[in-house]
Amino acid sequence: MTTLGEVALWIALPIALWGTVLSFAGGRTGRTDLVLSGERAAYALTFLLALASAGIVAAFLGERYEFWYVASYSNRELDTYFKVAGLWAGQRGSLVFWTLLLSGFASIAVFRNRRRNREFMPYVSGTLLAILSFLLVVLLFAEVNPFERLGFTPANGRGLNPQLQNYWMTIHPPTLYLGFTAFAVPFAFAVSALLTGRLDSRWIAVTRRWILLSWFFLTNGIIFGMRWAYEELGWGGYWFWDPVENASLLPWLTATAFVHSIQIQENRGMLKVWNMCLVVATFLLTIFATFLTRSGLIESVHSFAENLKIAYIFLGFLGAVAGICAVLIIYRLPLLKGESAIQSFVSRESAFLFNNLLFVGIAFAVVWGTLYPLITEGFFGQKINVGPPYYNRVNVPAGLILLALMGVGPVIAWRRASKRNLRKNFALPVAAGIAVAGALLALGVRHWAALSTFAISAFVLTVIVAEFWKGTRARARISGEGRWKSLLNLVGRNRRRWGGYVVHAGVVLVFTGLAGAAFDVAVTQELAPGESVAVRSAFGHEYSLTYESLSHSRPRASAANRENDWRWTALVTVRRGGERLAVMRPERRFYPVMDQSSTEVGIHSTAFEDVYVIPRDVDLESGAERVVFEVKVLPLVPWIWYGGMIVAAGALVSLWPAGVGSGRTAAGGRVPGAAAGQAA
Amino acid sequence: MMAVAGGIALAAGVLLFVLEPLLSGRGAPAYGGDDRHDEAAARRRVALAALRDLEYDRATGKLDAEDYAALESDLSREALDALGAAAADMPEDPAAAALEREIAAVRQALREGLQCGSCRHVNASGARFCSRCGDPLGAAS
Repeated sequence: MTTLGEVALWIALPIALWGTVLSFAGGRTGRTDLVLSGERAAYALTFLLALASAGIVAAFLGERYEFWYVASYSNRELDTYFKVAGLWAGQRGSLVFWTLLLSGFASIAVFRNRRRNREFMPYVSGTLLAILSFLLVVLLFAEVNPFERLGFTPANGRGLNPQLQNYWMTIHPPTLYLGFTAFAVPFAFAVSALLTGRLDSRWIAVTRRWILLSWFFLTNGIIFGMRWAYEELGWGGYWFWDPVENASLLPWLTATAFVHSIQIQENRGMLKVWNMCLVVATFLLTIFATFLTRSGLIESVHSFAENLKIAYIFLGFLGAVAGICAVLIIYRLPLLKGESAIQSFVSRESAFLFNNLLFVGIAFAVVWGTLYPLITEGFFGQKINVGPPYYNRVNVPAGLILLALMGVGPVIAWRRASKRNLRKNFALPVAAGIAVAGALLALGVRHWAALSTFAISAFVLTVIVAEFWKGTRARARISGEGRWKSLLNLVGRNRRRWGGYVVHAGVVLVFTGLAGAAFDVAVTQELAPGESVAVRSAFGHEYSLTYESLSHSRPRASAANRENDWRWTALVTVRRGGERLAVMRPERRFYPVMDQSSTEVGIHSTAFEDVYVIPRDVDLESGAERVVFEVKVLPLVPWIWYGGMIVAAGALVSLWPAGVGSGRTAAGGRVPGAAAGQAA
Repeated sequence: MMAVAGGIALAAGVLLFVLEPLLSGRGAPAYGGDDRHDEAAARRRVALAALRDLEYDRATGKLDAEDYAALESDLSREALDALGAAAADMPEDPAAAALEREIAAVRQALREGLQCGSCRHVNASGARFCSRCGDPLGAAS
């Protein structure tokens, strides 16, 4: 199996190059046999890369340590599912996995458009195959072949980094990669639109659901990553503005801007050049994120640092793509003229535009902060890292304005909003915001950023709830349907809009959760068994944590050389006001093969706050079993995860195909444009 | 030996699959201008959807008569322009038809006087007095 996978990888490159050349040639000459051969190449690549990936997984499961990649990222003691996840544990396997996902999406795009959008398709498959060719060249010639042999067979592998031995590890990277790779399809359609000169909003209508799908995966991937950090890195936070985190955030920022700005192009025929720039930038950032994560160019807590050669190859590719796209956009400028102009500063268009500027502004700030260490090293010979204070200073105000815009957008009129329109729709939400701010001030909250977040959140939520309420009521009255049926039909007939509002409601929850960090409480204390520590949360809850006992375990201790980890587990009882809430089992682990230790925190979640226990140090020498605990009470953190789920649900509503669920409605049927636009 | 044979078989199979169109002369469907109406249809649908939302905005009281009138004339013109831009043989567009029906339904409801002339509240069908302000219903608003 593994040998076959290796062979498949070598066959894949010529097939990808062949497909690229034939697709473009077919598009140029109009020869459909060349186009079909190119499309077959896309299908063949998916098959070959699936074989290659299966080969890698088989090598992990078969403990084939003669392969450098297998020996470097696993050992005999590792659980089976971490061995399967070995496919994306390191740079080499990740690249194969990335390429597999990309070719899978390319095949789906080719298959779904096998009879429609034929004008675009030769160049779409050509572009996707060109990207795949590049990745295959990297895999085979940049010293990152996952099938490279060591020349000898070690008795055991080096094992997997303990921080990666967490179940989120099996979920978070694939989700992000799905988001990164799905975005290549809209990018390919954009390139095709530039090449064919068909620059109306057709390519956007065709790829709208791909864009939302990519956004859905990116958003989930980032939230899963935050959850991983929260559970595994053991410092009680979820975001550190670490370069690799930033790398995943960057395409999300531009993709989010893009999701909004395409609506202006579709509705008003404006922002065509801007949208082209955003789709290219987002694609480039997905590539940038991949190489940043896996190149070790910038030091990071992820620091799975490896091979610099590949970094330069990726940078060259990024430069080439950016250059080609810039030339194409400039060449097509006459066809990219806007069809109308913004009529008033106070209108939905300008709210969207402002939203876009903020997203792109934040993206620039994050790029600058991420690359700053490289720039200072290049010019001054010294790496200077910027930390969370820099990012917070720039991004907190920008984030708050974005949050407020989520309340403005839904109710402000397109084209030109009158003062009456503003008064009518903003009176109640603004009053809600002011009431919340007043109440919090009266309660003694003085943290301005958190206070603003809560007040603006109340404003936005009021707007969203009022929109749903008014819309449902009007529909029920006019159609004579019941409330629930009206609500379902309301959403079903305009999924993108109402799904978007659900996403916004989720984002509001995430923001309030983030603002909760202003009220974190932490106590560090060394305890002997039987002793307790008391903490008072920001909500005024009195928690008491009792360290009951310490146990030591050596899982799979039957054979001395088959131990993945040793564990010291503390038993901690959590009480609130005398009532016993939970028993936690925070751990210190030691990984003998890796000679590394790690912390497994204890988390007790309530609706409003988390009790988070970190065993900082375990005293093993004196035999007294004393443990240094850091106890944190983190208000509103659970809301981040609830908000994330609501965001995901809203995104699903938006991208769900019309005609599923509430029957074939507004965009159902086989309308040429609607069918292709909805289902491409 | 097995591996070599497997590799050769794999390569041969993939090559055959990819080269078959060239050998047999079979081609992918070509672009036949079959979506030439799509842009006009899409524009019409966008304008109609915006009109539909506009009707609801009026019904929910988000827009008053003046704002409504200004936007309505713009959007209706765009919907008509889009229809005009397409050739006469533009196929029937059920999505646009559904939107038009929806718009008509809202307009009819408003015409029948379900929306209160004074406070813009939309009342249940059959109502004779506004359930919010008590004014008599019936006059077109």
